[in-house]
Order: sequence, then structure tokens, then C-alpha cells
Amino acid sequence: MTRTVTVTRRFDASAEAVFDAWLDPKKAGRFVFATPTGQMVRAEIDARVGGKFVFVDRRPEMGDVLHEGEYLEIDRPRRLVFTFLVPQYSKEVTTVALDIRPLGAGCELTLTHEGVLPDYEAQTQQGWGMILDGLAKVV
Amino acid sequence: MLDDTLLALADPTRRAILARLSAGEARVTELAKPFPISLNSVSKHIRLLERADLVRRRRAGREHILSINPQPLDEAAAWIAETRAIWAHRLELLDVILKEPS
Repeated sequence: MTRTVTVTRRFDASAEAVFDAWLDPKKAGRFVFATPTGQMVRAEIDARVGGKFVFVDRRPEMGDVLHEGEYLEIDRPRRLVFTFLVPQYSKEVTTVALDIRPLGAGCELTLTHEGVLPDYEAQTQQGWGMILDGLAKVV
Repeated sequence: MLDDTLLALADPTRRAILARLSAGEARVTELAKPFPISLNSVSKHIRLLERADLVRRRRAGREHILSINPQPLDEAAAWIAETRAIWAHRLELLDVILKEPS
């Protein structure tokens, strides 16, 4: 049974700039896998189909949290698909697909996350609280 | 648990059964009446809903009375809302990063 969540957002930046941020270890480490209280101690991206990424976020309350995955589709700047696994939370690999289309001077990104785990729920809830704390600091 | 809930919801007949039960409890035969399918098919749908704990059954004499249990629905909705909120936040951060002077 697949579960799917879709999120859409418009950006003032170009489709290329939005696309490239996902494959730039410094940038991706700050928005995809980072937590407000964590420190990104490892950020590696092998940006080719079949290539892997590894991010390790060192969190005061949990220690090192590994995020790993593999790129399935890389079609700059239209589409990026990667698998995504956080072994500490679950053994199930989930898939994230990004579709980016130019819109006015910027672009619109549609993100589809398939197959997020029930086990992940408790962690997600905890993560969400931390994320909201972080958002309050950023904005 | 969440899988059972989403599987149970992925069918129009089962959603219609839940919609009917949300108006109040009903007998199996009563529930089956509006559907153009056999009582046996409706019973299969009901069993799936029971497995997902969306529907509960009690006996009153020889009657089986069904009622809705909304709790798994709340959990499924919460999961979807949380996952969506996490990604919305990540995209918000991406927007902030892209607006930084390079």
C-alpha cells in the first residue's frame, strides 16, 4: 500500500536555481535533512542516476542521524527523483519526486513523497515540533 | 495500522459505507440496500473496514449492528497533515536559502 503526500510551492528563483539547490551538498544539507538544533557533520552527493547521497545530522537529543538515498531520475531542471531512507527510524525506503516548471519569472515545484512509514510517525511528530521552532527563528 | 486505514479508504463503496455510518449505526442488511452489488460483496467490504477498525460490530439478538469508529481516520489525517507540513517547511527554508545574496 502506497501512501502519497504532495506539496506544491512557487519560487521567485529560476527552475535551474531551485533544481540545483537539491544537488548542492551545502544547500541541501540546510533545508532537506537539517534540524534547527542539529549540526550537519557529513553531506555527500553523487549527483548521477544510481549515485548515492549521505547526510549525517548530529542532534543533541538523538546523536548522529543518517539520511541516505539514491538518485533515480535527474532531468535538470524539470524532474528529480530519489529514494530516501533514515535507518534509525525505519527500514522502508521511500521515494521523493520533484517536478519543477517555469512560472512567470520564477517556477513552481511539486513534491510527491510516496510510502512514508507508520513507524516514522512518532519521529515525524517530534521532528515537526523541532522544525516549527526552527521556522520561528528563520522568519 | 495506517496502511489498513488507507487501504480501507481506497474504495468508493467502502467510503460510501462509512459516510452512511457516520450518520448513525445500521444493520448489515440496511447498509447493503442502496448498493447495486450483492449482500455478500457488501459484507466483504464491511469485513475490510472492520479489520482497519473503522467499523465496529455489535450483536443485538440476531441482528448485527454496525457503527463507525473515527479514530483511525483521525490518525490517517494527522499523518498526512504532518508529512505535508514537514515538506512545506523544508521548501520554505529552500526559498530563504535561494533569496540569500550569493
